[in-house]
Amino acid sequence: MDNFINLLFQPFRNFWASLAAFLPNLFAMLLIILSGFLIAWLARKLFLRLFTAINFDVWCDKAGLTAIIRKGDIWTRPSDFFGRIIYLIFIIIFLMIGLSALRLPTIGNLTSQFFLYMPRALSALFILIIGYIIAGFVARGILIAAVNSGYHYAKLLAEAVRVLLIVLILAMALEQFGIAPGVVIAAFSIIFGGIVLSLAIAFGVGGIDTAKRIIEKRLEEKKEEKGNIEHL
Amino acid sequence: MADFYQSGVIVTLHKLGRPSLEKIESEIFEFSKQRPIALVLPALYAEFKADALKGIVEELKKVKYINEIVLSLGRATDDEFKKAKEFMSVLPHDVKIIHNEGKRVKEIYATLERNGLQPGEDGKGRSTWMAYGYVIANGKSDVIALHDCDIVTYNREMLARLCYPVVNPNIDVAFCKGYYSRITDRMHGRVTRLLITPLVRSLQKLVGFHPFLVFLDSFRYSLAGEFCMVTDLARVMRIPWDWGLEVGVLAEVFRNYSARRVCQVDIADNYEHKHQPLSAEDAQKGLMRMCVDISKSIFRILAAEGIVFSDSLFKSLEVAYMRQAEDTMLKYEADAAINSLVFDRHEEAKAVEAFANAIKQAAQIFIENPMGTPLIPNWNRVGSAIPGIFDMLKKAVEEDNK
Repeated sequence: MDNFINLLFQPFRNFWASLAAFLPNLFAMLLIILSGFLIAWLARKLFLRLFTAINFDVWCDKAGLTAIIRKGDIWTRPSDFFGRIIYLIFIIIFLMIGLSALRLPTIGNLTSQFFLYMPRALSALFILIIGYIIAGFVARGILIAAVNSGYHYAKLLAEAVRVLLIVLILAMALEQFGIAPGVVIAAFSIIFGGIVLSLAIAFGVGGIDTAKRIIEKRLEEKKEEKGNIEHL
Repeated sequence: MADFYQSGVIVTLHKLGRPSLEKIESEIFEFSKQRPIALVLPALYAEFKADALKGIVEELKKVKYINEIVLSLGRATDDEFKKAKEFMSVLPHDVKIIHNEGKRVKEIYATLERNGLQPGEDGKGRSTWMAYGYVIANGKSDVIALHDCDIVTYNREMLARLCYPVVNPNIDVAFCKGYYSRITDRMHGRVTRLLITPLVRSLQKLVGFHPFLVFLDSFRYSLAGEFCMVTDLARVMRIPWDWGLEVGVLAEVFRNYSARRVCQVDIADNYEHKHQPLSAEDAQKGLMRMCVDISKSIFRILAAEGIVFSDSLFKSLEVAYMRQAEDTMLKYEADAAINSLVFDRHEEAKAVEAFANAIKQAAQIFIENPMGTPLIPNWNRVGSAIPGIFDMLKKAVEEDNK
């Protein structure tokens, strides 16, 4: 009879023991997540102050980052936008830490993968932002130089260079993100190689005469140089 | 019928005989393939409730040569903006409404301000400036025509005559301003008749020959709100956002183009729109505010041209203006008499006194702060300070109009 009662109540006891063992983890998770919200809110406030102090919005306007944000139909100040992103990053980090406090094997794997992925994601984001600024800077430089040299298709040339650089940056960022790296590298090689090859063919076909003239001129110059008296 | 006398330094295009509207329109249609035209309409939401705008929209339906219409809407809530969109949707053209009070365009203004570019206060100057920015950002039009939305006597001939000199490559004018008479049972246009012309002529007497004063005096209706220009001018133009807008635009035209490339055209036999109260006692309202702003603008432009303004010059100007305005009044009295128009001499004299007071106040403000109201920066400078501004503006307007 005792055995039967034991058999009947054992699962309940086991459940209670598991629950008693799990509840502190659950409370720890809730506490971590709640404190995460508070820390995220504080971090956002702190970053907003910092952004105001360093005139971050003006810097974003000049660097073209505001224009990118607006392309996504987001019409808040750049500092507000980045403040929210920082807030979300903190929330996600604390959510992951909180979940790991549950000590569940599946969630443990997930969180460890997440923290392993974080540096890659951040570096990809960094590549995207810096790359976009550099692409804009180079395109503007080419536009100014081409306009000043009286080149007719200055805008087209600058845009083409910008698109090429953005393709390169996107490929680099995707590779960092680790999203189908093999496909990204292959696609990038095909697209970039295709563009360069078509430019080379276009220049080769269209510029045969020019290239011929340049080579002939060089050869003539060399001949003239040879005929000159060489001083000891 | 008008005479054909060419006065002043700019070209005057008169309305002689009965020119065929259909012929002009078909020519503009052909020219506009090479030089596409954008029509800019500055409007307040209150004007959507009036009959004038309904008439304008009905007339615009028949116009085929306009490439795009940009209506810059002021003082409108989001609901009112939607109603305005619905109202304008009957037009067959590509119509875009700039919602100046909307969150997107407001953010554009905020972007400009934090970068040290002051777009000024809400008003026609700022609205039209924003519309020019959109036309430049869109990059689809080489010519910009502009008229107000409160014209009761509007017909499409006005627009055709306004656009013709600028789109016609054989005339090759960079800026064309409309002129007309404003008559009901009496003459209107007091500010032009009794302030601008006497003030400009008094200044000519005091400072002698000055090309800008001659240029300004050449316009038959310098305060007319209807003009047409090449889009390039909108890129380099710095305009005041207050009532000095029209004079400011003329100053920019004078600065950037030869008088040979500037014209005025007779666009209507008669023109009627809303009348402003004089409000002689309050310089912050009605015609008085307008006169103070215009006088300030003229002083500032002349100072920029190198004329030295002193207390004594302003004192002499007050006296010279009064004499000039009284003489002008006599001319208009005679003109009214021969045309059987009502002429209330007392009211006209009161207006002259109020205008003299406005000049005095403007002089005082100018002496205290010669830089006065800052001009709205030109779009070239804005594009240089904020490289993505045109993309942002285009996106804002397109999202609002979805």
